[in-house]
Amino acid sequence: MTAVRVKDRDGSEQTLDAAETTPLMETLRDDGYGIEGTCGGAMSCGTCHVYVSEAWAAKLPPPSEDEKAMLEAISDFAEVRPTSRLSCQILPDIIYDGLEVEIAPQA
Amino acid sequence: MGDNINLKILLESQGLERCPFPIPTGWYFVDYSDTLKPTEMRNITLFGQEWVLFRTESGKPGMSDPYCPHLGAHMGHGGKVCGEHLRCPFHHWEYDTSGWCKNIPYGKVTPPIVKKQAILRTLPMVEKYGMMWAWYHPLCAEPTFELPYIPEIEDATGYTGSRRGSWTADTCIQEIAENGVDVAHLKFLHGAPGIPPVSATYEGPIMKLDIGQGYIVGTAYGPGLNVMRFNQHGITATMISYTQPITAEKSTMNMSFRHVDYAEGTPELHASKKVIDHMIGAAEGEESAGFESVDFIVWNNKKYRPNPLLCDGDGPVLQFRKWFKQFYSGADAETLAKI
Ligand code: FES
Ligand code: FES
Ligand SMILES: [Fe+2]
Repeated sequence: MTAVRVKDRDGSEQTLDAAETTPLMETLRDDGYGIEGTCGGAMSCGTCHVYVSEAWAAKLPPPSEDEKAMLEAISDFAEVRPTSRLSCQILPDIIYDGLEVEIAPQA
Repeated sequence: MGDNINLKILLESQGLERCPFPIPTGWYFVDYSDTLKPTEMRNITLFGQEWVLFRTESGKPGMSDPYCPHLGAHMGHGGKVCGEHLRCPFHHWEYDTSGWCKNIPYGKVTPPIVKKQAILRTLPMVEKYGMMWAWYHPLCAEPTFELPYIPEIEDATGYTGSRRGSWTADTCIQEIAENGVDVAHLKFLHGAPGIPPVSATYEGPIMKLDIGQGYIVGTAYGPGLNVMRFNQHGITATMISYTQPITAEKSTMNMSFRHVDYAEGTPELHASKKVIDHMIGAAEGEESAGFESVDFIVWNNKKYRPNPLLCDGDGPVLQFRKWFKQFYSGADAETLAKI
């Protein structure tokens, strides 16, 4: 398990234990953070948008072209920052223990 | 038999297949243009699968895979042509004739791929000769050649003839086309007086055949169109043949017969009709039967021999096969090895 620090949409912060081999989107969705993950990780819905903290953003593998395209598509409806990621594309490997994310507002 | 027998030739037939070929790449006849009015749609089977054939309000024909990329509804059952689009019955996603999704009536954020490419498989189509044609490529590549101008069917003033035929054979398109170069069978299966000489030239997707030193001059434009001009009794009559691969083992051969619009009662008109009768095999007392009466028994039962035992006097069967192979460029290595 990897500890992930999550800032909810209401500003409250919790630490959750994320399974290393499960995309973070699923853990956030199943734990009731208001992440829908409608497309199941196909990068076609954009409902799993999170902001990664500045410190951690640089440590994650960079987003793929498809992920960038999806982030771009939601930018008309929600604030997309340089540290925006699709949580369906984040595998919380143990090397990311302590990862900090903030749930982005709904598109 | 002795010890040194060639077992390969004796036993090879055990592993033969009737139609080991994929559907070849090319332009194919879909249907006559006047059978599909604007906003009409129907399900058809061609190239081994079902398709939704439709015509938009402005008159553009479309041919799409039936299953909606969204959640898989069959758009030919309950779908609808809306303006220039085909609309899926399930959630009303709409697609244009090129397969681009043009409307998702409820999603706020458009999935990026929808803006990047067509998400529904459709076939490139053209209307020519009063017919709808579709380009088939197994991996959805764009057309690599164009359909030719055929004066006999496109020149509204000079030609006439409304005779058409349609025959379905239980074999693949290559096996049917191979008969064109197999001149020996013309004598023995069709009962022609002799084996006519043949010369063939190949250039890209085009094969030109001359059978009987100018008696039949044919041009194939890929696997789906063949224009054959019969020169006899001082006139030229034309057979335009457009075979459809319905499945890998079933083909429908379609033909239109055309000739110069000679005046009523002229010997030229009489000769033209006689030549066409002969092509169809309808003429009485002919010394050689037209194709449809005799070829079927062979096509419907034979197997394909990738290593045939050809002899002196056979036509250019192997050159034909080599030419035809280009239409399987999308096939995998294992398939290619069998053909
Ligand atoms: S779950 Fe749909 S984009 Fe991540
Ligand atoms: S399945 Fe076609 S729109 Fe949903
Ligand atoms: Fe024949």
